[in-house]
Amino acid sequence: MAEPVKDMTKEFEEHGSSLWKDAWIKLRKNHMALFGLSVLVILIFSSLLTPWIAPYSYEAQNLDLGATAPSMAHWLGTDIFGRDMLTRIMYGGRVSLMVGFIATAVALVIGILWGATAGFFGGRIDALMMRIVDILYALPFMIFIVLLMVVFGRNILLLFLAIGAVEWLTMARIVRGQVMALRNLEFVEAANSLGLSQWTIIRRHIIPNTLGPVIVYTTLTIPSVMLLEAFLSFLGLGIQPPESSWGLLINYGVETMEEYPWLLMFPGIALSLTLFALNFLGDGLRDALDPRTSKD
Amino acid sequence: MKTFDSPSCSKTTSGNIHSGFSYGLLTLILLLLVGCGTSENNVSNGNRDSILHWGNGTEPQSLDPHIATGVPEHHIITSVMEGLVLKDRKTLGPIPGIAESWTISDDGTVYTFKLRKNAKWSNGDPHIAQDYVWSWWRAMQPGLGNLYVYMLFPIKNAQKYYEGEIKDFADVGIKALDNHTLQVTLTNATPYFLQLLDHYSTFPVHQATIEKFGTADQRGTRWTYEGNLVGNGAFRLADWKINRRIVVEKNPLYWDATNVRLNKIIFYPTENVTTEERMFRAGQLHVSNDIPADKISVYKEKRDPSLRLAPYLGVYFYRVNINQPHLADKRVRQALAMSIDRDQLTKNIVKAGETPAYAITPPGTIGYQPPRQFNFDPEAARQLLADAGYLNGEGFPTTEILYNTNEAHRKIAVAIQQMWKEHLNIDIQLLNQEWKVYLASESAGQYQISRAGWIGDYVDPNNFLDLFLCDGGNNRTGWCNEEFDRLILEVAPKAKTHEERLAIFTQAENILLDEMPMLPIYIYASKRLIHPSVKNYDSNLLDQPSYRDIYLESPIEAAEKDTNL
Repeated sequence: MAEPVKDMTKEFEEHGSSLWKDAWIKLRKNHMALFGLSVLVILIFSSLLTPWIAPYSYEAQNLDLGATAPSMAHWLGTDIFGRDMLTRIMYGGRVSLMVGFIATAVALVIGILWGATAGFFGGRIDALMMRIVDILYALPFMIFIVLLMVVFGRNILLLFLAIGAVEWLTMARIVRGQVMALRNLEFVEAANSLGLSQWTIIRRHIIPNTLGPVIVYTTLTIPSVMLLEAFLSFLGLGIQPPESSWGLLINYGVETMEEYPWLLMFPGIALSLTLFALNFLGDGLRDALDPRTSKD
Repeated sequence: MKTFDSPSCSKTTSGNIHSGFSYGLLTLILLLLVGCGTSENNVSNGNRDSILHWGNGTEPQSLDPHIATGVPEHHIITSVMEGLVLKDRKTLGPIPGIAESWTISDDGTVYTFKLRKNAKWSNGDPHIAQDYVWSWWRAMQPGLGNLYVYMLFPIKNAQKYYEGEIKDFADVGIKALDNHTLQVTLTNATPYFLQLLDHYSTFPVHQATIEKFGTADQRGTRWTYEGNLVGNGAFRLADWKINRRIVVEKNPLYWDATNVRLNKIIFYPTENVTTEERMFRAGQLHVSNDIPADKISVYKEKRDPSLRLAPYLGVYFYRVNINQPHLADKRVRQALAMSIDRDQLTKNIVKAGETPAYAITPPGTIGYQPPRQFNFDPEAARQLLADAGYLNGEGFPTTEILYNTNEAHRKIAVAIQQMWKEHLNIDIQLLNQEWKVYLASESAGQYQISRAGWIGDYVDPNNFLDLFLCDGGNNRTGWCNEEFDRLILEVAPKAKTHEERLAIFTQAENILLDEMPMLPIYIYASKRLIHPSVKNYDSNLLDQPSYRDIYLESPIEAAEKDTNL
């Protein structure tokens, strides 16, 4: 009896590895998702290369020039200190994208581990872990971040971690809910009865099935994290001038949107483009990775 | 009466309620689109009912005249209270207030005030000379923590009483000779003494009210709340909604009530200057507290009569904490001062007619021209920094500029940060804190360089120089110079002539500029938007309005402009 079972697991493994292949084939057919992906790739590459390709210095001022509308010399105009907006948006993108990805990654890792553990073991462990989440939810998260910044000083990496550390709660709840629902489904029972180890069940069956909601929620977390960073920086707790981020550029642009609309418009476009790209890609990935649709 | 949040829609929409839900909704949407109707806004209503809508910048710290220290508080307190003397609204010369006349002894040290017999408190109590004796006694109670107590120190023995050297208040030079005669004896002839009497720190307070809500030297009691406050000014407090508005209404018991033409003044805490400018354009304010720097050129181009830029007796400067090791060397401070390009800042950043400052005292204050010891000179600044041990800025620790959260302060700090980076090659960080936290950090000496501004309380160089006395409550830099203190406290008050006095001030200011515990940046300009219907609001050097003279008159042009908006 031992031989056939072994064969069947082999077959499962082969089938499982094709999930990503399937997903990629499906994603390629989704034009919006591909558009999102390419926009993100371009943005990430230009951010990485900013120090070498930026046309001007991001901090050098030309007060006599002041705020000027887009021109041949400054494609996106200049701000009130005479600094080139294109350069500032490129440098701002570095901070914003970094905050978006690092803080979200932190939230993702903590959230998934916490939620999956609670959901899978259930019972007292689940109750205890979720009460901790409830308590953290009840804390005003701004005060928490402000306290972190006051105690550990203003440090950009710490800012990323601090934001990630308060953003994982919802992720944990989503993952836990998914895991609890999946744990009792027939295919998991079937896998159990076939003698698969718990770890294999989690890896093969549970995680792929939670990916959809997690990816959607991740694409929503990245923009909210970027805006949170702008808010903190505005309060003087995040990054400080002459550094900048998209959120901060937008904040400053709003004040002079009637006189110098380009100061609001271009960072706004950059941020919205990123958010659109993330949403399209997220939608596409969710459809592509959903194992239920992959069987059709 | 309108509220701050929901401007004037209710009256116009209520007629449409009967016309069916969809029609009513449509009307509502249309009304929202056209901005709640063009004719029904605060300004046009105010002009009809003589209600002045005043943008006051922020929520006041307190309305207790012996506790408040700021300009926003000043604007409200002077409407509900009055001193012995008022200021002429144009020249700022002293004119009779609660005192109908006064005599000054030949040596200039004894002032005898005749109080008006018809002066009353707003609850009907008679207003007598003893009120001043009690009020000034209260102002000098150490427990009250009055930061402006030094305004009373020209009075004989006042400082000694405050510091506990003299126990008996009867020895202080304040006497009520009878119910309507007050005699004040000064230590030295003080040329600006009459001006002090129009400052809220010398205003009388109503004894019975204060004692009803606490002891005389208790801070933060309820006596200044609506319904409790008893004053002697042209208006009385009618309504106070925290962070929304403060309403004062005409006080019928005021001695000159027949000549007061406004029925009400409504003060709004307009903290965001961009929002305030929009409120003004929407006709929600008669007078704005400020105007965004980038909007000034727009108003200038349109030749908008609402824009008023005027000289303002105040100085914007940076305090340098000289207890920080790397800032203790005066050459470092001089280098910092010399590498700020003030012309650039005033021309391209603040833009309202501010002028570069090279000394703490605004030029031309009663004929005083402050000395000028330095210019914008990056070359010399680099040399000074090198002499102090930081050749080419190397080894200079990263230094923080602290400012209270505000757009204008941020812009200046960003510009100066880059100037120091460029000219001195030193790294500067910016740190902004909320107003009260910033004040606490500054007084505790927990800063390196901090933004500051000082607006004159009276027109005299003394008001600016005595900021930097060793134990001055507003010094906060840790700087202390005995010779400077001696000149300001002992030599200047004994000067025989005006010229001699100014020469002593020059001498003192030279010491200050050589030591440079502060970096002067620019001389303020007052910038406001004032609706053309506001009359008798003249600009003056202290930017102090005289509410008892102001009236509202809707001009035809203004009416036309309203309908065109």
